[in-house]
Amino acid sequence: MTWFAAVVHGILLGGFYALLASGLALLFGVMRIINLAHGSLALVGAYMSFLLVEHTGMSTYLTLLPVLPGALIVGYLLQRTMLERSLRAGQLVPLLTTFGLLIVIANLLQKFFSPDVHSLDEGAIGTAAWQATSSLAIPWFDVLTLGIAVAVLGGLHLVLRHTQLGRELRATASDADTAELLGVNSRAVYARAAAIAVATAALAGVFYGMRTGFDPNQGGAELLYAFEAVVIGGLGSLWGTLGGGIVLGVSQEIGAQINPEYFALGGHVVFLAVLVGRSMAQASRIRYALRRLA
Amino acid sequence: MSDEHGSGKVTRRDLLKRAGVGAAGLAVSGSFVEPAWARAKAWDASNTIKIGFVSPLTGPVAGFGEGDPYIISLARHAWRHGTTIGGKHYKVEVVTKDSQSDPAKAAQVANELIHSTGVDLMLTTSTPEVVNPVADACEAAGVPCVGTVDPWESFYFGRGAKPGGPNPFRYSFLFSFGTAQFAEAYTHLWKEIKTNKHVGVMYPNDTDGNAFRDNLIPLLEKAGFKVFDPGGYQDGQTDYTSLISYWKKNKCEIFHCAPIPPDFTTCWKQAAQQGYAQMCKIAQLAKTGLFPSQIAASGKLGPLLASGAYWTPSFPYKSSLTGISSKHIGSGYTKKTGRQWNQQLGASLSLFDVAQAVLHKSGNPKDKNKVVAAFRHLNVMTPSGRLHWGTGGKHNPVPPVVTTPIIGGQWVHTKKGSKFPLDFVLCEHSGDPNVPIQAKLKPYRG
Repeated sequence: MTWFAAVVHGILLGGFYALLASGLALLFGVMRIINLAHGSLALVGAYMSFLLVEHTGMSTYLTLLPVLPGALIVGYLLQRTMLERSLRAGQLVPLLTTFGLLIVIANLLQKFFSPDVHSLDEGAIGTAAWQATSSLAIPWFDVLTLGIAVAVLGGLHLVLRHTQLGRELRATASDADTAELLGVNSRAVYARAAAIAVATAALAGVFYGMRTGFDPNQGGAELLYAFEAVVIGGLGSLWGTLGGGIVLGVSQEIGAQINPEYFALGGHVVFLAVLVGRSMAQASRIRYALRRLA
Repeated sequence: MSDEHGSGKVTRRDLLKRAGVGAAGLAVSGSFVEPAWARAKAWDASNTIKIGFVSPLTGPVAGFGEGDPYIISLARHAWRHGTTIGGKHYKVEVVTKDSQSDPAKAAQVANELIHSTGVDLMLTTSTPEVVNPVADACEAAGVPCVGTVDPWESFYFGRGAKPGGPNPFRYSFLFSFGTAQFAEAYTHLWKEIKTNKHVGVMYPNDTDGNAFRDNLIPLLEKAGFKVFDPGGYQDGQTDYTSLISYWKKNKCEIFHCAPIPPDFTTCWKQAAQQGYAQMCKIAQLAKTGLFPSQIAASGKLGPLLASGAYWTPSFPYKSSLTGISSKHIGSGYTKKTGRQWNQQLGASLSLFDVAQAVLHKSGNPKDKNKVVAAFRHLNVMTPSGRLHWGTGGKHNPVPPVVTTPIIGGQWVHTKKGSKFPLDFVLCEHSGDPNVPIQAKLKPYRG
């Protein structure tokens, strides 16, 4: 029964990873940018929410109303002022730019918020759980997080499939130059994608802040897991990211069930297995193609 | 006009001199060779005592360094007219450096203080990641060094001393708590409430976690507690379900942990969701839970968490350098910064008391060997209590180390109208009976 509980908790944890990874997947899928500052931007979202809660006493969930539009603007400006320029300089430069951004954000947060640990209040559902069996308690907050992850990824999916913006995004993602020839303003498309990605980061950050304690230097491990979720899910695929997050969460929980030391290891092993498996599949496809040529 | 005229004429001698300076510069950047200008500086500085102070002001453990600027301002104020030692008047200069919570950076800034500032005495504090590398740098360069807030086993054995062997350190000294002090506080505190004596522990797989696992667990079991250790998880773990179900299964009514602060918040929220926190009678924190902000981060789960303190404003001791009592260190800090007292204030100020005492006892603060010799039988009053080297026994387990107590206590809501929502009250005083007990330990939940 505890194994069953581990799997259930793994799925819920996967929802959290998927929420954190959604912006990462979008940015990678559309612009091929690996945004190392994604975790820090999430942290900024958590701090903004914290600031509002401290000064107005409003509920953490209500702070999303001002925080998310703010994050959209930040994302838009970030693309226009920094990412766009660094993208022009080649593939590696955005990686360095976002890494620099990560350090700058951590230090600014420390300057303004001190190194204290904070956490956001998750309201009445914070400690409530559904006692499914004697050994399995399902926390409502985790269910909510998973639900939000599904909603965000589903929403992004619908936008990409069925709206003008989505068609432009997909066109730009597959071939920016041709899309430009057909009248798509790729600069504007990129900026909108970045805006949405940062907004999802901020959303994930607020949930992150409710789930855990955070300080200005936080966000490294979670970013790594989010990145693994993106890779397991097939690099930039939205539903894949949800699946990747869940696979990662379940394998971590199963690892921890064997021995608490194997929590991270369980996830990393599956991550590695997926990478190796995928490259072997690719190699066999290439061999097959070569044989057919010969 | 005459200057211009002079500089226009480069004599052969000038040229050689300039080349010489350049070569000296190269030599310095390579291996350290003491050139003529360094000796000259040392001579100029013969009536100024330079004291280096390394602590973490930024990075993950910056919470410890939060009050250091205030404490340093108190010490500088006390030394504003200098000090007279052996009939000679000296100016005192305190040079501070930030270790950035990084052991490599700590070693680097210590070397800067030693080689370019030329400090006569080094002070350092807060976690093994700061104190140990600074002490190593001082040991290598032959500069006297005093540290604090670093479990002494980590300071002594972690830097290469062998149990039962001779003291390998000549220049580095420490006053701090160790495992025995934790065990003493916990075993007294936990007996105040009736429990089944099952202790669930959350020790990560890191230096501090493993030190607790290897040294504290045997002491707790000897005192009659049954310890349930699910194993070392990794710092930054995102889910603690497997540990929580293990503690639940073994009905651990006492919880003890030594995680990094954010991990505690994560784990404890999950423990509440999964019903473990509710059955816990004593939740005892180490490494986190030292500062009010860390407790506040747990929200409603914060009050009644138990912790240990190496100093609080209720310690009945005065700083011998500044003459300020523990109570006024706390209130002065709040007045100056608007922030609540924290444990590190007393420990950091104690370092300056030791500095003043040892420099005076040496008779010649510029002679490093005399300063080191003055640590023998040094006896000094500090906010942390009286520190006495050379007594042997429980309070001086190895020659360079004096142990300081850990006093067990609990975070409670303050009375209505207080400036801060939470305060730490002491519930036992086995480590130092002079410290007043302020309240009886209340059960966490259950």
